[in-house]
Amino acid sequence: MRLSHGFVRGEALSCIYHGWSYARSGNCLRIPAHPGLTPPETIRVGTHAVEESDGVIWVAVGVPTAQPPRLEGVVPLRSLTAHTGVAAVEAAAGAKAGAVGLVWQAQDAQQIRLLLAPQGDEQTLIHVLLDHNSSLSQRIGASRAVERLRRAAEDLQTKGIAP
Amino acid sequence: MKLYDYVLSPSCYKVRLMAALAGVKLETRPVDFHPGAEHRGTELLALNPAGSIPILEDGDLILTESAAMLAYLAARAAPEWLGSGAPEEAARIQQWLSFAHRLTASLGGARLHEMLQRPGDIGALQAQGIAALRELEAGLVEQRLRGMRFLASDQPTVADIACFPYVALAPDGGIPLDPYPAIRLWSRAIRGLDNFIEMPGIHRLHELKPEPHVEPGEV
Amino acid sequence: MMQDAMIDEWYPVGLFSQLDVKGRKTALMGEPIEVALDAERRARVTCGDGRTLPVCVRYGHVWSSLGKPQKDLFAIPEADQPGRRLVDVGAIRVRCSPLRAVENFLDIAHFPFVHTDILGAEPHTEVQDYKVEIRQKEDEVWATQVKFYQPKAAKSASGGITTEYMYRVPAPTCSVLYKTCPPRPGEWDVITLFVQPLAEDLCDVWPWMALFDDVTPMTDLIHFQQTIFLQDRSILENQIPRLLPLDPGMEIPTRADLTSVAYRRWLKRHNYTYGAQLVAQ
Repeated sequence: MRLSHGFVRGEALSCIYHGWSYARSGNCLRIPAHPGLTPPETIRVGTHAVEESDGVIWVAVGVPTAQPPRLEGVVPLRSLTAHTGVAAVEAAAGAKAGAVGLVWQAQDAQQIRLLLAPQGDEQTLIHVLLDHNSSLSQRIGASRAVERLRRAAEDLQTKGIAP
Repeated sequence: MKLYDYVLSPSCYKVRLMAALAGVKLETRPVDFHPGAEHRGTELLALNPAGSIPILEDGDLILTESAAMLAYLAARAAPEWLGSGAPEEAARIQQWLSFAHRLTASLGGARLHEMLQRPGDIGALQAQGIAALRELEAGLVEQRLRGMRFLASDQPTVADIACFPYVALAPDGGIPLDPYPAIRLWSRAIRGLDNFIEMPGIHRLHELKPEPHVEPGEV
Repeated sequence: MMQDAMIDEWYPVGLFSQLDVKGRKTALMGEPIEVALDAERRARVTCGDGRTLPVCVRYGHVWSSLGKPQKDLFAIPEADQPGRRLVDVGAIRVRCSPLRAVENFLDIAHFPFVHTDILGAEPHTEVQDYKVEIRQKEDEVWATQVKFYQPKAAKSASGGITTEYMYRVPAPTCSVLYKTCPPRPGEWDVITLFVQPLAEDLCDVWPWMALFDDVTPMTDLIHFQQTIFLQDRSILENQIPRLLPLDPGMEIPTRADLTSVAYRRWLKRHNYTYGAQLVAQ
């Protein structure tokens, strides 16, 4: 059972199945079936280093060697999942992703920054960021534009013409 | 008011949930949908020739469409759930009430196939379900940009109740909700409403209760 | 897979009351089968390869086997006790190992979190010590003196009570639960979980009950049990790994899990491995 099905109370994350709860450092705090038992140190879940920076949550695989890159002047808009690899999203956007993502020049002349996180099994999580001065209608326009971009990327994948 | 009800039906749950939120007490008449197929028996076909449930009976009034039941419960006891009447909001409510039929056909079809072995093209049902969830997600993202937490306004309306059950139960049909952060926030907002009730497949939000302190052997 | 000792066991393949001459297509351990009534209104099960499979009708269900069952279907003497209501709950399909479905049925520690305010509720989460044994003569797993506080133990329950349970595993994919019977102290309600293995990671679960309850309408009894099982279903479909590990590995059992530990040991001893994995992951 993944802990993502569970619940957070205070600083503890609990499993939905039997309610075992875990602290920030991954050690088990409580086994509800045995309220008198102090869970042994050996019961723990894996943890990852996490940073929140410029409205984006960054997770490190392994020990991070640097702080997350700064994303000056942009604000997060939304996150969406495409049923394609990163390459098809890059092909549809006509740009390659670097350390601070990909800058996509959308049709309506807006610049949209995309952070691409491959999810394995041919899926890509796309985080969309916009200029922090953008208006409500520009934000709604950008949200619709990335829907079109996702469709284009998935079409490329379906037709087998993604790189 | 009497609801012909099946505990595992998301459409029946819409009505139970709306009644709970609006503070209406319903008399429920359980229907043996599975395994008994009682909804296709003579007694229920006399009430609803389409052979579907829920059916809501109030005196002479017999309703067989869940959206109509939501509107009726709200109009009777909690008119704020029908929205403010502002043109854009009224249109959005109608938009999502109609959209809810697509959720029933796709997500509901996938769930019936995966859970109760009803016939269907599961690949197509799941693909249509994902398309509908993406549309809902996009709609909710735009609403949040407008500063609104729910489908038609910043307050929940009958449109939210019409869409919520099949969406929340999408995983029963093999369709995960992990890719939809706006849907998950919206679902959480609905589950956190006062007088919210669950149905099987929608777990309690245990985070709303404090961590219990109990001494061993107290039980 | 055909070497698995489970091949010679009986499995539920349908409700007898729902059979007709047209038949019902289903599967058993990866093989397509068809369950139908013959001209004499007897249940008949045929395999995709044309073989007629062994059949018995018991506890409301039709039972069959791909192999040669060495013994009769296990006995539930209470099923024939006068005054009990027999409840056919119907099949629920679950994308999980048939063995995981049984193991979850044997577990009580999840009640407060999964069956909240029905079979359990915080803060009453403690699982007190109980007795577990593999009974050699019957060759069954038994857990007895299992006690748990339940806010609404049965459809007929009007308030919270400490319920006593006995669990019994008489066959690799079947479990029988004996539970405090609120209207009739001294007797046990019988609630079973009969699991039809469709594949190693897919099953139809047929709950069935034999209750002392003259008051509750039949449909309410069915809906109560379907509610409980549907709360379990989303848990079962998300368990990792999908197959039941029979060797100690990543999972850490506590005293509350002794029934599960005995069940896994018993499965391994008998080479009942359809839906199991032997190597820990």
